[in-house]
Amino acid sequence: MKWNSRTRCALVCLGFVLLFSAFSFRLIYLQMIKHEQYAGLAAEKHVYKQPIFAGRGTILDANNEVLAHNVPVETVVADATHLTDIEATVDLVSGELKLPRVEISEKLHGDRRYIVLKREVPKAISDSLRQKLRTQNLRGIYFEQDATRIYPNGVMLCHVIGFTDFEHRGIQGVEGSLDEYLRGQDGYRYIEHNRAGQELVLYRGQERAPRNGYQVHLTVDLNLQNIVENELDAAMREYSPKKATIILMRPQTGEILAMANRPAFDLNKRSEAKPEQMKNRAISDMMEPGSTFKIVTAAAALNEHKFRLDSYIFCEKGIWNYGGTPLHDHAAFTDLSVKDILIKSSNIGAAKLAVSLGDQKFYEYIRRFGFGERTGVELPGEIPGLIRSPQSWSKISITHIPMGHEIGVTPLQMTAAMAAIANGGKLMTPRIVKSITTSDGKTISTLSPIVLRQVISPQTASQIGSALRGVVSDRGTAAAAAVPGFIIAGKTGTAQKVGPHGGYEKGKEVVSFCGFLPAENPQFVGLVVLDDAQTKPELNYGGLIAGPIFSRIAEKAARYLDLEPHEEIRKAIPVERVALTNAPRH
Amino acid sequence: MNRSRRQNWNTVNAASLARWIVLTAFLALTGLSYVYLTLQLYHLGDRKKALETEVANLRMQNEVASAQIAALTSRSALQRRLKEGYLKMIPIAEHNIVRLTMPTRNQEDAIQPVSNQRGAR
Repeated sequence: MKWNSRTRCALVCLGFVLLFSAFSFRLIYLQMIKHEQYAGLAAEKHVYKQPIFAGRGTILDANNEVLAHNVPVETVVADATHLTDIEATVDLVSGELKLPRVEISEKLHGDRRYIVLKREVPKAISDSLRQKLRTQNLRGIYFEQDATRIYPNGVMLCHVIGFTDFEHRGIQGVEGSLDEYLRGQDGYRYIEHNRAGQELVLYRGQERAPRNGYQVHLTVDLNLQNIVENELDAAMREYSPKKATIILMRPQTGEILAMANRPAFDLNKRSEAKPEQMKNRAISDMMEPGSTFKIVTAAAALNEHKFRLDSYIFCEKGIWNYGGTPLHDHAAFTDLSVKDILIKSSNIGAAKLAVSLGDQKFYEYIRRFGFGERTGVELPGEIPGLIRSPQSWSKISITHIPMGHEIGVTPLQMTAAMAAIANGGKLMTPRIVKSITTSDGKTISTLSPIVLRQVISPQTASQIGSALRGVVSDRGTAAAAAVPGFIIAGKTGTAQKVGPHGGYEKGKEVVSFCGFLPAENPQFVGLVVLDDAQTKPELNYGGLIAGPIFSRIAEKAARYLDLEPHEEIRKAIPVERVALTNAPRH
Repeated sequence: MNRSRRQNWNTVNAASLARWIVLTAFLALTGLSYVYLTLQLYHLGDRKKALETEVANLRMQNEVASAQIAALTSRSALQRRLKEGYLKMIPIAEHNIVRLTMPTRNQEDAIQPVSNQRGAR
């Protein structure tokens, strides 16, 4: 080969061809084969998936009064790598956020890059801080949008509403049980930043709008709740019980109109609350119901046609030996009708009714009234109570269970059982949620009343209702529960308190009253329970403590619900006189 | 001399020149329009962002105001104000209530109701 100019030229050209071919192949390799990988890496550097937070749904009462909603706040964070003047930043931030200087200094001098300085900072404070940072030309402090839950009514209805944690997850009450409806669904948007960190709107990518949480409407009427809470507070001041619970329920639908417990806590200061204050005792505490349980015994006996309402039973003159154990009454009753067994609250009479039924049948009725199983109310933490099967009963259980001993029931179960009597024998599922709607009012779900079962016949329910009217009269144990102008049906209960290690605690009683108004067309059923009321032993009875509380609540509730008095208001009989003439043991 | 100079001059093709001028102007205008429109897009993006921020701020202010209204009109707040004397409420006396239907007397069950003096407080 001649090494002339033509050859050299050709070689140079070939060299260029090879070089550019190599470049071309590399380009094709990068742009086509490795495209996905490098496009992804590039996107990671400048494309950012910005979350768009959904607002948590509001909780409203039956009249659309706000019980829980959101307030926008900001979380103040620092990026340690962006801080320009740490000391000046510490001074400014600690002053504005009212945080100790040492705490801020330690955080900013630490190893972490992303530092949360303070959560839930009100907008006004964060705006002021933002302005001052800009004025002093301090960088590295950022503000993240957030929201906090506020409860305008504080303590009121605290156990029912519940609360959320700092990640906005509902963890108690309706906030917890309906979290999936209240939470909503966050949206997102793919955005690109410039070098200064500002969004390039031109290069916005795919986005999905957030769906705000649904609004939850409760069956609770805040007006009735207010009446109940005020009376509960008055009772706490007067009797200082360890615990207290009041429930109001509409018997025809099972709607809970009011539910309050003490001790309680302020939902806006939930971090200061003690565990015992947070417990919804209406559904998560067991109690021995005492004589209020006699309605179950009498209803079972009448429904099984073992007795009629006017059948007489010999009550052994106050003491009956059964199974080698004496059973006492608070008075030496001789012959009492079934109606009078309820009115006078005879333990022996109730025991004889249960004995006539037999263990298995009596147990069946207890279960049919809903005891021993969760009611299914839309609240977390409900317990089923404790009802032992007849196989594990002792010889005397058949005489003790009829008067509400040896069993554990929740206040809500007891209210639901009384509501079944008031509702013609139909046991309804207690409900606290009325409906679920979108924020613009479109209905997502309406919860209809659920009839669990027909526990007793309407005739039996009517007979028991008639007997319970006598309880709230000058002949009965709950004269003090009367409301002038209305006929009330109800039953008192006084049970010795069960100690933490078993056995009964002397001098400590759980007193209760459960009733409905008006007796002929019940608009609400109410239960008042006070655990270990501090009063004189001779006054520590359901009829004398829980009865008057029920009376005051019923009177105010009737006025609020505009119930028309069906009875002529006659001359008053002083309660004190009635209390003296009717020693209401149980 | 003039004549020889004129002979050396190149003749200009007017039509071709015009075509080039139009083409260049078109390209220049296209380029400028592209730059202008791109800048406009950035500008509109910034404006959109500013408006979004403004709407978000207004929405936030609205939520804060709603929260304040709810807190100030809540039952607890009203009761507190009632106690403090900022609000006055007069209970309606029984004789001022007019009922449209007369109370009916239930004859079947004439149990004497009992008035509760302690409950009347």
